[in-house]
Amino acid sequence: MERRVFLGFAGPSIVVMTLLMVLPLAMAIWLGMHFMTFDNVLEPQWVGLRNFTAALQDGRFWQSFGFTALYIGVVVPSWIVIGFVVALLLDQVTGFARGLYLSIFLLPFIIVPIVGTIMFRQLFEPSGLLRWLYQELLNERFRYTEQTVKSLILFHGIWYVTPFTLVVYFAGLQTLPQDLIEAAGIDGASRLQKIRHIVIPHVRSLTLFILLFSIMDSYRVFDSVFVLTGLNPLYKANTIMTYTFQTATQLERLGRANAMAVLTIIGIMVVLIPNLYLSWKEQIAER
Amino acid sequence: MDPVTSRPGRLLIHLALILFAIYSVVPFLWTALQSIKKLRDASSRTPKFLFTPTLENYEELWLRSTPDNPEALAFFLLLAFLLLICLLIFAQHVPLRRDLVYGAAILGLVALLWLIPQLLDTASFYDYFINTLIVTTGTIVVSIGIGCLAGYGLARYAGMLGVVVLIAALAFRALPRLAYVLPYYWIGSALNLIDSHILVIITLVAVNQPFTIWMLRSFFMEIPKDLEESAMVDGAGRLVAFLRVIIPVMWPGIVATALFTLLLAYNEFLLVRILTQTNWTLPVAISRFTGGEDPRHLTLAAAASVSATVPIVIVILFFQKQLVKGLAAGAVKG
Repeated sequence: MERRVFLGFAGPSIVVMTLLMVLPLAMAIWLGMHFMTFDNVLEPQWVGLRNFTAALQDGRFWQSFGFTALYIGVVVPSWIVIGFVVALLLDQVTGFARGLYLSIFLLPFIIVPIVGTIMFRQLFEPSGLLRWLYQELLNERFRYTEQTVKSLILFHGIWYVTPFTLVVYFAGLQTLPQDLIEAAGIDGASRLQKIRHIVIPHVRSLTLFILLFSIMDSYRVFDSVFVLTGLNPLYKANTIMTYTFQTATQLERLGRANAMAVLTIIGIMVVLIPNLYLSWKEQIAER
Repeated sequence: MDPVTSRPGRLLIHLALILFAIYSVVPFLWTALQSIKKLRDASSRTPKFLFTPTLENYEELWLRSTPDNPEALAFFLLLAFLLLICLLIFAQHVPLRRDLVYGAAILGLVALLWLIPQLLDTASFYDYFINTLIVTTGTIVVSIGIGCLAGYGLARYAGMLGVVVLIAALAFRALPRLAYVLPYYWIGSALNLIDSHILVIITLVAVNQPFTIWMLRSFFMEIPKDLEESAMVDGAGRLVAFLRVIIPVMWPGIVATALFTLLLAYNEFLLVRILTQTNWTLPVAISRFTGGEDPRHLTLAAAASVSATVPIVIVILFFQKQLVKGLAAGAVKG
């Protein structure tokens, strides 16, 4: 296909992405250099780099960054481990039961995240099932504190995305070279040894893929934190996204929020650049 | 892996899977249960499993006033809805031109949605539901339309520019939403489009476009080049060959991509929340039930959550294969 024809086909898409992704990004930098509230959206006032330096000196910005890092550190390894183990178990089942399990396991991942979080929260309302269970088992009242709210956010994060890693690993297991497994069986390898020396190396590239995407996606966790904290500063459980959102909507500092959004992009570069590099190499090789 | 054959081993595997299934669905079951309780039962400190079920939460959510003969109306509307759905499912077996049947069924569904507020005194939740349908449908149509063209171009063009577009799309997909959404607010204000469907649709198309073109491209790559080349030899232009020859064999890929676009548009919260003031979609409308002191929010949130989940579960039941295939293809999520 010639370049001219390619541009004809890809043109509309490229125009939309340029106008609504490249341009807004430049605009975010520009708006970040202004003082802007909801009252002067169209006549923002130039303040230079003040928003950026103010954000960097803001203790709560770093606090939210810290909680986001904690979230990634807890949730991503859990997704990988639980997803892998359940995929191995599911691989043992065949026929109708397999499809049934798979449909049930997928539920938390496909429903509206806001709704999933509300459902999760229903369990911990004063009349909730798990709150009652917690009080019966531990003989201690369940309260919304910084610690419990943060635990709930982490717990929900694990509950919500594990289906994704599960399905990816499950698909990976279907392409496992059977002759290798059989050969290992003849050599007297135990099940654990087969997993250790055949299955895990086989899914290594999938793990890398999951790792990169999981980190990028959990870096921008928003919906669940929004519902579980109600943006209450008492819980000190803001993530970067919710704190930026709060700065924009509650404090009405739109310029500052733009600056913060731009600054968070720098954080994502740590995983984004290796990811882009790998994809680039892959695409060039494929050509 | 080779299957476990020992009886206790298999039992343990099923036990573990059943436990994981319970862990996956407990929030759903509990919320569904709460949604059919009277407020008094729902707010009891010790969970009640024996109670008289009621639909009053759903009624309060969807209707402003109770009609005189709710059972008859509900029966009639449900029947019409089921008939139209059956028509959609069994369209292949109707001895008429298939596109005519599909058209009639969809037209019927739209008419039904229009008819409901004429017959019943619907509450604002119904409007949010309609908004969600409009936004989701609009996003799917525009997104898949321009995405198919681009995905095809990217699958067939070997030049460097194609790689650059793909990698750039990947980079933009990874960036935090707020970096776009806040400028969108500015653009929307400047064009006086805040709170309009068109702004939400076009911005949703844009933020989902990277994902769409990657996924569609991967499906187009599976189609052999000879297919359109033979058509082009016969004198058809590339665009004609694309529309007449490629698109018909691409349907499974288009359906899978449309399914993910549907989920992304239906689920979006942050973008809609910032770009609308009253024309909310369901996620934003439902989030309103989470704050506040009104005790009724407990059961209303439960009923709203179930209401928003049912359509998605229906869609997924029909398209489970495409969903799993798409997820496994890996290009997905976010």
